Amino acid sequence: MRPFLFSKSSAANQALAKKNHSTQFIAGGTNLVDLMKKHIANPESLVDISSALPNKVENTTKGISIGAMMRNSATANDAIILAKFPLVAKAILAGASPQIRNMASAAGNLLQRTRCPYFYDVTTPCNKRQPGSGCSAINGENRMSAVAGYSEQCVAVHPSDLCVALAALDASVVVNDKDGKTQTIAFQDFHRLPGNTPQKDNNLPANALIRAIEIAANPFAKNNAYVKLRDRDSYAFALVSVAAALHLNGDKIVEARLASGGVAHKPWRWLAAEKYLKGKTANIANFEAAANIAIKDLKPLSHNGFKIPMLKGAIETALKQCLDL
Amino acid sequence: MGFFDETFDLMAPNDRRVEGVAKVTGAGKYAAEYKVDGLCHAVLVGSTIAAGTIKNINVDNAKQVSGILDIVTHLNKPLVPGLADEAKIKEARLGLAIFHTDKIFFKGQPIAMVIAETLEDATYAASLITAEYEKTDAHVDFDAALKKVPLTPAGKERGNIETLNKATQTVEAEYNIKAEVHNPMEMHATIAEWKADDKLKLFDKNQGVNSVQRTFAKLFNIPTDNIEVISEFVGGGFGSGLRVWPHALACIMAAKQVKRPVKLMLTRPQMFYSVGYRPAAWQKIKLGANSDGKFVGIHHQAKNGTSVYENFNEGITRVTRLIYHFDNLKTEAATVPLNLSTPTWMRGPGDCTGDFAIESAIDELSYKLNMDPVALRMKNLALDKHPDNGMPWSTNYINECIEKGAQMIGWKDRKPAHSQTIDGDWSIGYGMAVGAWNAGRGNASAGIQMQKDGAIIVQTAMTDIGTGTGVSMQNIAHEQTGISKSKINIELGNSNLPPAPSQGGSNGLSSIGGAVVAAVSALKLKLAGYAAGQNEAYQNAAPADILLSDSGISLKTPNEQFISYAALWEKNNLDVLEVEASSGPGAERQKYAFCSSAAHFCKLRVNRKTGKVKLERMVTVADGGKIISEKAAANQMSGAAVGGIGMALMEEQQTDERLGTLVGNDFAGYHFPVNSDAPIIEVAFVNKPDPNINPQGSKGLGEVGIIGTAAAIANAIYNATGKRLRDLPITPDKVLLG
Repeated sequence: MRPFLFSKSSAANQALAKKNHSTQFIAGGTNLVDLMKKHIANPESLVDISSALPNKVENTTKGISIGAMMRNSATANDAIILAKFPLVAKAILAGASPQIRNMASAAGNLLQRTRCPYFYDVTTPCNKRQPGSGCSAINGENRMSAVAGYSEQCVAVHPSDLCVALAALDASVVVNDKDGKTQTIAFQDFHRLPGNTPQKDNNLPANALIRAIEIAANPFAKNNAYVKLRDRDSYAFALVSVAAALHLNGDKIVEARLASGGVAHKPWRWLAAEKYLKGKTANIANFEAAANIAIKDLKPLSHNGFKIPMLKGAIETALKQCLDL
Repeated sequence: MGFFDETFDLMAPNDRRVEGVAKVTGAGKYAAEYKVDGLCHAVLVGSTIAAGTIKNINVDNAKQVSGILDIVTHLNKPLVPGLADEAKIKEARLGLAIFHTDKIFFKGQPIAMVIAETLEDATYAASLITAEYEKTDAHVDFDAALKKVPLTPAGKERGNIETLNKATQTVEAEYNIKAEVHNPMEMHATIAEWKADDKLKLFDKNQGVNSVQRTFAKLFNIPTDNIEVISEFVGGGFGSGLRVWPHALACIMAAKQVKRPVKLMLTRPQMFYSVGYRPAAWQKIKLGANSDGKFVGIHHQAKNGTSVYENFNEGITRVTRLIYHFDNLKTEAATVPLNLSTPTWMRGPGDCTGDFAIESAIDELSYKLNMDPVALRMKNLALDKHPDNGMPWSTNYINECIEKGAQMIGWKDRKPAHSQTIDGDWSIGYGMAVGAWNAGRGNASAGIQMQKDGAIIVQTAMTDIGTGTGVSMQNIAHEQTGISKSKINIELGNSNLPPAPSQGGSNGLSSIGGAVVAAVSALKLKLAGYAAGQNEAYQNAAPADILLSDSGISLKTPNEQFISYAALWEKNNLDVLEVEASSGPGAERQKYAFCSSAAHFCKLRVNRKTGKVKLERMVTVADGGKIISEKAAANQMSGAAVGGIGMALMEEQQTDERLGTLVGNDFAGYHFPVNSDAPIIEVAFVNKPDPNINPQGSKGLGEVGIIGTAAAIANAIYNATGKRLRDLPITPDKVLLG
């Protein structure tokens, strides 16, 4: 690891004042430390923000606010989350290990970088790590890579489980910029597709800090599920994952939400499938039809064609689990 | 009863690991944990290409880092006498002549080593070293390269393989297994200290201190006794510590270069290409049987990956000649050189790979014959004699393993046809397979030191890699002497102790057990010698006539003639009584064949929509002769079963041919099972002594726990779904597309 300066800030404005292009904020450090060990992130200084940001879940007029420094394990066990947005807890508990969840912060989860193996191997080309060097995965080992929204430049997927639930629930990201101004970014606009700038994972403004994640009140607390398929039962990144939520009136679907991980560079919403389900009866035939709509236009790479049937199965399974079927 | 309610006395462990408390409290030290005065740190720098020649190494930036003591490269090194020229390199059989060549054979091959005051300084400086190379073509894709290598006969053909064509039913299929990487929890590490120009002390992670001693004695041309190797605690071996790897030599070279003690610990990423792996394998099987299920014959072809600088043959078809009678048999094999580091033995080496193909094919054949796979196996087991060398088995209870396992899992509930048991999106199935291993024994020595109070220390150089060697030695010593276990201490893993073979190939306990028995006999005779001075009845007493207890010696005669140790010690002015004895295989090896065996059963469910496989039950029953320490033995078996789950369902080292690289070198991408992947493994033993293999009657269990596990799982997936999956690991994508 390269030598670096380390300081701690107890307030957001103090931390923001220290931020420049060679500084990085560190919260739980569960991803950043790995990146530093592998010389992928090479900050000259680190600012510890673990005491600088809110670490509670609070009720607001519109819904709830999850403090940026809320640890993942605390969020997953929070009484408000469990009562109002259990899908968030289910998604968190499907990821990482207890040790990592105890360290990882809510905001940091949004900012974790892809787990594409080429991104982590500095001896191989990777446009995300070194723009212009080429994408090793697109014609290489791309079993874990994207099936939607990718570009010639990058086929990486976003690794988070929490973000899949937040995308399904239309959360928003509250950001403090350098001048102390607050800005709210809709969750679907927060993460980016790779396009020609795969080095940019998200639209967090330069030198800004995530302060909180907000979720507006919704009727999905009763019927929701998170299904994650992976190479082992725990502590593995998703091959594919599905967050599903249904608002039911009797057996009629008033509204449906469906999002996936392991599909694209950002948490992926299945909007056409959601639209199809709206107003339909909640039954297996309709779930299968929705899943078929979701997978219709996906474009697998050389080694991840399996993700299409797997997604279909995972969407159907998640929708059925919403009904406890 | 909760775990913490269990009565537990640290001072009087009941069949608990002798090293257990030290390990869980951290008092026991692994190689990298020893404190040595003046210690500095070495970090290896790996090649970024897979094949070629080093043209230039730039160490200027690295040298600017504070605390740097020196940087070793092939141009700046202490010459190792045993690697002085090409002929000596070949003779040394170290594999990679680390820092004694400018040739690159695989990506990650060490090209430089930074030695610094702190690990942090060394690590940082190592990251600043760059090199220029002249690149040549590299090949790392086993599946592509294997087609270029022809098969050659592996062993003698039996009968006439053409007879297979007359079989009523045949199965002909190919099987592929991806490479599995060694990653024991404790990463390999060495601390080297030159006590004098020709005297070396090593704290080293390995599976055999005497083998380490011999290797470096030869490389540095110094007497074996001048090298002390300490490996008292080993955090998992699995075969990764049976060879002496180049990084250990690098550490010794570093200590020579800076004339200080040096520690070198591999990083987790370096573990992926530094301490071997189970090589990728291709196999083709043609198996035939008559309508009554009697096997007509087998044609088994196998290839495994190796490196371009060394040939490693797994011996995949060895197991083909071990379990069943095949009147007609042909085995062929080849190794496929790749620009990867050299593979090595991994738990159940060769047999584990070969057995997967054979046991999968037998299962497939059972469906064609409409025969229960248990019945098909029972019909063809070679229970009378070793099917290859024709010698009668000393003992072989593989049939009892099968019967007991079938009963434990409830095999009668298995449906003969596939896809019969459905639970929503899940399909449920049963599978089984068997495995066996030629049971060996080596020459080993043990020593005993006895104190006046009757406490003894039993010693050997053998390591305990987590298999329970220590507790088993304690049990044997207790049984042989009658002295309480609380008064028996065990010392092992040190080359100053009586020599013993490496712990591997399921030979550890089989070898050392006899030595402990021999040492106890020597102790009894020595004590009887002193006792004879006080009581003539002890003259000419044989070990079997002599009884020991916590307090003294007596004879197996009606009036016992008891003499306390205290009296013996006082009368003879004794301090510590010391004996040493050796024991090894003998004439029994010309009379009998020896094998351990196991039967593996599982019940699992497969999700038809997602491809997920969930193991519900696993039963494994082994014939390991007499079980010396049941907890340790069961632990061996369940650990091996979990390793088998990894092999069957998830372990896979991917490679990228275009870039000449391994894909990924961390646990985010390389999956081994976690607790949630494994049910509680239900273990049982036949537990009948083998009267000929060694004095204690035990046969090694390390390998048979994993030989057959993968096939049992694959066979259960077929029973559940009708999908015959012949390529490992069976990840959810293969289940879904299969």
